[in-house]
Amino acid sequence: MLGRVRVMAALVLVVGIAGGGFVRATAQESPVPDEKLTLNVGLTEDFVSPNPFVACCTMDYEFLFLNYDMLLNFDTVDLSPAPGLAESCEPSPDHMDWTCTIREGVTWSDGQPLTAEDIAFTYTFIVENKGTGVFGDYLPYQPTFEAPDATTFIWHSSEPTFAPEIPPWIYILPKHIWEPLDGKSGQEIKGFEEIPAVGSGAFNMVEWKPGQFVRFDANKNYWNGVPTIDEIVYRIFENQEAMVQALKSGELDYAYDLSPTLANSLGGTTGIEVYEGAPGSWTNLAFNFGGQSAAAGVDEVTETNHPALQDIRLREAIAHAVDKQALVDTIYQGYALPGDTFMRPDSAFWHLDIPAEEEFAFDLGLARQILDDAGYLDTDGDGIREDPVSGLPLAMDIVTITDEFGSVDSGKLIEGWLEEIGFDIELRPVTTTKIYEIWELGDFDMYVWGWAGDVDPDFIMSVFTTNSCLVWSDGCYSDPQVDAWHEEQRTLFDRDERKALIDQMQRYLYEQLPELALTYEQTIHAYRTDRFTGYFPVPQPEGDLLFGWGPYSQIALEPVTAEEAAETQDGGGIPVGVWIGLGIGVVAIAALLLVRRGREEEDERV
Amino acid sequence: MGPRRYILRKLLHALATLAFVLSVNFFLFRILGDPVTLLSRSLRLDPTEQLELRQELGVADPLPQQFVNYVGDTLRGELGVSFLSGRPVSQVIAERTWPTVLLVGSATLFATVFGLLAGIRGAWNRGSAFDSGSLLGSLVFFSMPEGWLGMILLIVFAGTLGWFPAGGMESVEPYTGLQHVTDVLHHLFLPCLTLTLGYIGEYTIIMRSSLLEVMGEDYVTTARAKGLRDKMVRRHHAVPNAMLPTFTLIFFSFGFVLGGSIIVETVFSWPGLGLLTYGAIDRLDYPVIQGVFLVFSAAVIVANLAADITYGYVDPRIREA
Repeated sequence: MLGRVRVMAALVLVVGIAGGGFVRATAQESPVPDEKLTLNVGLTEDFVSPNPFVACCTMDYEFLFLNYDMLLNFDTVDLSPAPGLAESCEPSPDHMDWTCTIREGVTWSDGQPLTAEDIAFTYTFIVENKGTGVFGDYLPYQPTFEAPDATTFIWHSSEPTFAPEIPPWIYILPKHIWEPLDGKSGQEIKGFEEIPAVGSGAFNMVEWKPGQFVRFDANKNYWNGVPTIDEIVYRIFENQEAMVQALKSGELDYAYDLSPTLANSLGGTTGIEVYEGAPGSWTNLAFNFGGQSAAAGVDEVTETNHPALQDIRLREAIAHAVDKQALVDTIYQGYALPGDTFMRPDSAFWHLDIPAEEEFAFDLGLARQILDDAGYLDTDGDGIREDPVSGLPLAMDIVTITDEFGSVDSGKLIEGWLEEIGFDIELRPVTTTKIYEIWELGDFDMYVWGWAGDVDPDFIMSVFTTNSCLVWSDGCYSDPQVDAWHEEQRTLFDRDERKALIDQMQRYLYEQLPELALTYEQTIHAYRTDRFTGYFPVPQPEGDLLFGWGPYSQIALEPVTAEEAAETQDGGGIPVGVWIGLGIGVVAIAALLLVRRGREEEDERV
Repeated sequence: MGPRRYILRKLLHALATLAFVLSVNFFLFRILGDPVTLLSRSLRLDPTEQLELRQELGVADPLPQQFVNYVGDTLRGELGVSFLSGRPVSQVIAERTWPTVLLVGSATLFATVFGLLAGIRGAWNRGSAFDSGSLLGSLVFFSMPEGWLGMILLIVFAGTLGWFPAGGMESVEPYTGLQHVTDVLHHLFLPCLTLTLGYIGEYTIIMRSSLLEVMGEDYVTTARAKGLRDKMVRRHHAVPNAMLPTFTLIFFSFGFVLGGSIIVETVFSWPGLGLLTYGAIDRLDYPVIQGVFLVFSAAVIVANLAADITYGYVDPRIREA
């Protein structure tokens, strides 16, 4: 009886291996003329939801860019506003009314025509309903919207604004699908899920298996270029190593976001190209200036900021004590740039680059000198300097985040440098969840976190205004000059004039050190060169190829050769014959073992 | 005590345990932190909007009231809505249940069957090459980190040789019927192998030592003296008595199946409950955390109940006690 169990078990295993192999082998050995051209992309972040108002992360935004259109697009060269659903938008002389001409002939994926009404509906929906907050920032001054006819969209603002021109990062939704949700609770709006998701974009999301993959079909009627590929599959991997293995074996055509070590291990593999996208985010060392309890309106003082941090000379000394290049080389293994201004570098038009000779150079001797001159001396000989004003030793904590790559390691290196110049540093590694609490209470001296921000500088500059305390500000930095400039830049409608003021702000903030931008991290991509060609960096020349600012690469991709086009899944798999042979071999061995054992039993120990 | 009273008593025990677990489940996770603060930050709400959010999510009521609501909802099968994605918790959990049952269930099954067989054979032929080999193998695999073993298997068989996929539960192509079954089995092979190897040692060693103990008993000697063939002695006298300790282990193992296996799920990108739980805890997604722990606890309690009842049938001595 036991023997029979063994045989059954062996057979199951054999069927599994052989059958699976058979399936794969037949898939690749019988190319059907109408086989679909599929792009297989791997990433390690799951899709959260097809609901635009729940969107948070990488895959969500990729979905939104593929499935929907915007009023205006991000230009592929420098992310400035480009025609989208609107062919053009013109302001009234007082910049309070903007009129946009909507292009004709665009249809939703369910066949309904897209008109200016859908745009007016979407924007009004966002302004009037709860739970749509993430997009509300782009619609300031309580605007109203109308669509007098199918191709005209008008934006009425209660104050002069250039908000329609930023471009507003809002995806246009179909009125005939979303109208029933108007006026419902935030939870109902955010709970609405519909697959396939009706959209007007270059690709349409048709299937989602949570934790596994998201599938898109190409929109062969797309107004901005017809994709050659028929289908894109985004496969979710739970670890990068497995994803890279899948790229190597050919299961994937493209892998997104590799760690520096993995990228290095791939270097030199034939047929695979490693690509470093332009940085769109940075890690920073933020200083706490206090005032959180007052801003929260509570009596109990919860902030624990060290008073010496208010002194700009102390912050300058810290700036000179951080070797940003070392951070780039050690932690990111070269896949990063030293940080300077508080503006994402891939927003090329707005980002100000501080010339190397004007930056805070890494110089421990100079840092010590600055502290000596400012009166921070070690009066009791314990190796730690004291603050002459408060008498407190320069004992501070640096909070780091365990689940953000680079934070903990940056903190450790900074601790080393600061202790060399006379600080006493305590590191506090915590989770992302925990640091929100710490931030809210102001219970820290410094922390290592990060920013990405928008293409347009309005948002990230607002982070450094007084009113941003307990909204977005890291340490409640406050400077009336910055507040005034932020107000002013909103009124400058000439782009170059505004750029001059934004540059001035970036320069000023760089020198005032509300925080220190440590490194601009690059996202690392890898893709097979033997499969598709035509990947398109946005913005030019070094932006992201996929997971960027629009469906540009996906539309432009072409298969490498005609033969490649016939194959969808190549795995370097084993031919059917080998599977069957393997299977027979396993059964044979199992049978042999059983028979022999049976005979043994008969003679043994009777 | 008659069989019916025995079963009833065990059933009541199980229900009482479940009730206790429900309470602990609810209160325990309130200690982890306040999800409203987290959500209000990403949504940038002012204090009035925060209060509305609290009410919407049901965390504005005093704790005892929340608990009463929780019990009522749970009994109706309503497990709430995920804080993170807004999707119903029961749906989120249901999506992940079958993959977990398939992976961990099959691995537990194989580990049980092969482990017991190996343990029996090892004990019966104590000191043989097979015995030393299987003992060594059990210890080696049991102490090996699953994640490392899984990764090695993945790199060799999926990455380099390409014989198996590098992750996931099924291919994207819409296979149906037999093709779909073999496709899933194809994906299942490596993660199942990893888990099986990890679990198998436990069963081998316990079964082996249990059987060795029984083999020294008088009634085994008697059975042999009566002239029974070796196989019969083993099958009808020794093994059934040696099975009792392993019984509990087996039932508990099946109870734990729904806990999933975070590490193997991560390595092979298997969409199971283990990873769901971890992600929910990290983001303080209370409804999902509570839902998963409820399901998991219920499974263990049910398995324990099944063990108790089956014990009663299998070993009359327990019933009489």
